[in-house]
Amino acid sequence: MTELLRVENLTKRFARVVANDRITFAVAAGEIHCLFGENGAGKSTLSACIYGYHQPDSGRILYRGKEVQLASPSDAIRIGIGMVHQHFVLVEAFTVLENIIVGTQESGLRLRDQEARKKIRDICNSYEIDLNLDAYIWELAVGQQQWVEILKALYLGAELLILDEPTAVLTPQESDRLFRIIRQMCAQHLSVILISHKLNEILQSDRVTVLRKGQVVGTMTTADTTPEALTTMMVGREVDLSIDKPERPPGRPVLEVKGIGAIGEWGERVLEDVSFSVAEHEILGLAGVAGNGQKQLFEVLMGLRPASEGEILLKEERMTNLTPRMALDRGVGYIPDDRFREGLVSDFSVAENLILGWQYSADYRRGPFLDGERIKRLAEQQIDRFQIATPSPDVATNTLSGGNAQRIILAREFLHANCLILANQPTRGLDVGVIEYVYENLLQKRDEGFAIVLASEELEDLFNLSDRIAVFFKGRIMAILDPKTASIEQVGLLMAGHEGGVDVAGP
Amino acid sequence: MIRVEQRLEPNLAWTSGAFAVAIIAGLVVSGLLVAASGADVFKAFGALFEGAFGSFRAITASLVKATPLILTGLATVVAFRAQVWNIGQEGQLYAGAMAAYLGSLILAGLPSFFQIVGIVLFGVAGGALLGGLAAILKTRFRVSEIISTVMLNYLVVYLLSYLLAGGPWTEVGETVSYHQSPPIPEAAHLPLLVSGMKLHIGFLFAILVAIACYILLEKTPLGFEIRALGFNPAALRSRGTNVSRTILLVMAISGGIAAVAGLSELFGVGHRLRSDYLFGLGYTGIIIGMIGGLRPGGTVLAGIFFGGLESGALYMKILSGVPASLVPAIEGIILLFVLMAGVISRFRLVIPRSADNDP
Repeated sequence: MTELLRVENLTKRFARVVANDRITFAVAAGEIHCLFGENGAGKSTLSACIYGYHQPDSGRILYRGKEVQLASPSDAIRIGIGMVHQHFVLVEAFTVLENIIVGTQESGLRLRDQEARKKIRDICNSYEIDLNLDAYIWELAVGQQQWVEILKALYLGAELLILDEPTAVLTPQESDRLFRIIRQMCAQHLSVILISHKLNEILQSDRVTVLRKGQVVGTMTTADTTPEALTTMMVGREVDLSIDKPERPPGRPVLEVKGIGAIGEWGERVLEDVSFSVAEHEILGLAGVAGNGQKQLFEVLMGLRPASEGEILLKEERMTNLTPRMALDRGVGYIPDDRFREGLVSDFSVAENLILGWQYSADYRRGPFLDGERIKRLAEQQIDRFQIATPSPDVATNTLSGGNAQRIILAREFLHANCLILANQPTRGLDVGVIEYVYENLLQKRDEGFAIVLASEELEDLFNLSDRIAVFFKGRIMAILDPKTASIEQVGLLMAGHEGGVDVAGP
Repeated sequence: MIRVEQRLEPNLAWTSGAFAVAIIAGLVVSGLLVAASGADVFKAFGALFEGAFGSFRAITASLVKATPLILTGLATVVAFRAQVWNIGQEGQLYAGAMAAYLGSLILAGLPSFFQIVGIVLFGVAGGALLGGLAAILKTRFRVSEIISTVMLNYLVVYLLSYLLAGGPWTEVGETVSYHQSPPIPEAAHLPLLVSGMKLHIGFLFAILVAIACYILLEKTPLGFEIRALGFNPAALRSRGTNVSRTILLVMAISGGIAAVAGLSELFGVGHRLRSDYLFGLGYTGIIIGMIGGLRPGGTVLAGIFFGGLESGALYMKILSGVPASLVPAIEGIILLFVLMAGVISRFRLVIPRSADNDP
């Protein structure tokens, strides 16, 4: 195999942080090469250097054997490197065709779209991509939008495609299809750099380069390695993600939701007739592709969004006109999916964030004033208990990593909640080590008698942790399953809206 | 090559250096303006300083000028820290003066102490109500507070014009009437801090309000919410705070503080209600608050500095013939430089050693 891209001794620094430290690796023509590593291991920085977003401080990038200087993404596109970002960059009000050709034509009054249409058709045909070029982006499912992004790169003549966490938004079936087509592309001269921290995706690649703390740990042929070996390489120690969950009979119901509906920002229905209950010692998992109403459900349960109908009972008390204050005061803990937007004030200190929401609590006041001494003592105690890596409680939270920020939220919620934890994607974007820690803590709360509602994109984790799994599709619960009898494929089909012969495990 | 990088934490020496350079640069550019007007720059600035801080009398006069500026600056601090863009200090200051005047008419004849307490309460209530009105427009009807407070400024200023130009508060002379109220009886004057000087207890109010603002923002749960509101309203809401209520409190407090500026000018300096000497104090307060870094202590210093400029301007005009109207221009120039210093203090220059480039 000939070598397409070679990175030699690439180093990139940001302020005091060395994001990439003398990285050397090579991508062969026609291969799927995976960059595997934890968040903060330097994968994104490396790909940004290859795509011309960042310029390396030192080291070389060779493309087809020649050294290249990439001052911007347009330089990268010119030589044949394309990139599909984790967050799509599409114009909702444009059609597929318009999104692909926008910015590619010379200025003028008329779009010369006939040639473009033909060229895109050819690409679609050769890879069996099935997409209506005249559909508007807003009409497409998320999985289809990803194809638009890929087509955009191919249309610009990409020979090397960088895919950044491509399956984060896909159902298991959609991601299978994605890999089938990628494999076909590679058979026809395309090469792919796949950035991921999901093991099942990495196993689809030809070779893996493992990164840790900005350095290359090693490059291996995927077929010659095992998931365990890869994880150990990535983390630098052995990790036990198998979850040991003791059987516990559920206790009294903590949260009962009956026939809840809700309306979205544009008057659309985002929740429809949602009913379930969670009891003490029980974890209810919520499965579903992001954007199918899980977030809105959490908002309704926290009083952040009004329910248009239905009722919520918390420990048998009916919650009418629920507000976030009421939920917090009754012992509900909330771990939002976007921790820096909703969970934390990132300019606040660690100590301030640890009491955010409880600033009026008598525990943290002396008369009308905040009791700085007590808050600091509490903060030191929680920092110690939850192993939050911070030089002091007074440091601004935005200087900490995502994992440490999440530990602050866990520390705060576990301290103040007493009956129910609502956790929306609590492990998103976290390192394996922290994920392990989050799960351990949730299971411990389950043992203590808490009821837990947990939404996650990681289906396997959901199967391991949950006592029951509710599958969301378009604001409805498709089914509530028992993870001991259900299969991942079954859940995947339900996530895509296919009703099927499903055993229902009680409401 | 030298790189510019964002600072992880502020550096006191760098920050104070940046601000010192900004003030000097502001004075240099102002000097060019003074020179362009044909005056001797050093003589003019010398006179300016002499008139501002050159003697005990000059200092007290500067503090008198500084009093309303510190207060409207503090009104800005409380609102802007919450990222509630109250531009209505002007109107709230007028409302404070007018409500306090109304109070003085109602309370006339009571012992002086009760009159003054009543005047302050009336005035603060007037400013707080006007500020609160803008908050309600914002939270109930989604009217931008920038628009509503600016519009309310006009409303209040013209209401006063009406009241003083033939309206019920107009002083009726023997032959002509002026656009002003009758003089305020001495019992309702704010007491002087130093006998023989013009410095009145309004300055004490300003310092007390500054201390109260510091305690409010840094030491109380409400201040915690005000700061959180400024940084991340979504998180504050999701953590159980009624954000509309916090905005209402912020605007009422900000309006109430601006009102103290108005009543202290009226009962401490003007002693009769007229619109000319109140004009512009609210808008200048926005500049003072910004230059003070939206911190109470910084605002007091900026207020005294600007009070000195205003007070020294007359002296400069008399001694060197520089038009006093150049002073607002100087203030604006210094503001621009200080704002730049604020940005610069968040960055640092990095000069990489050559060894860094070796792999």
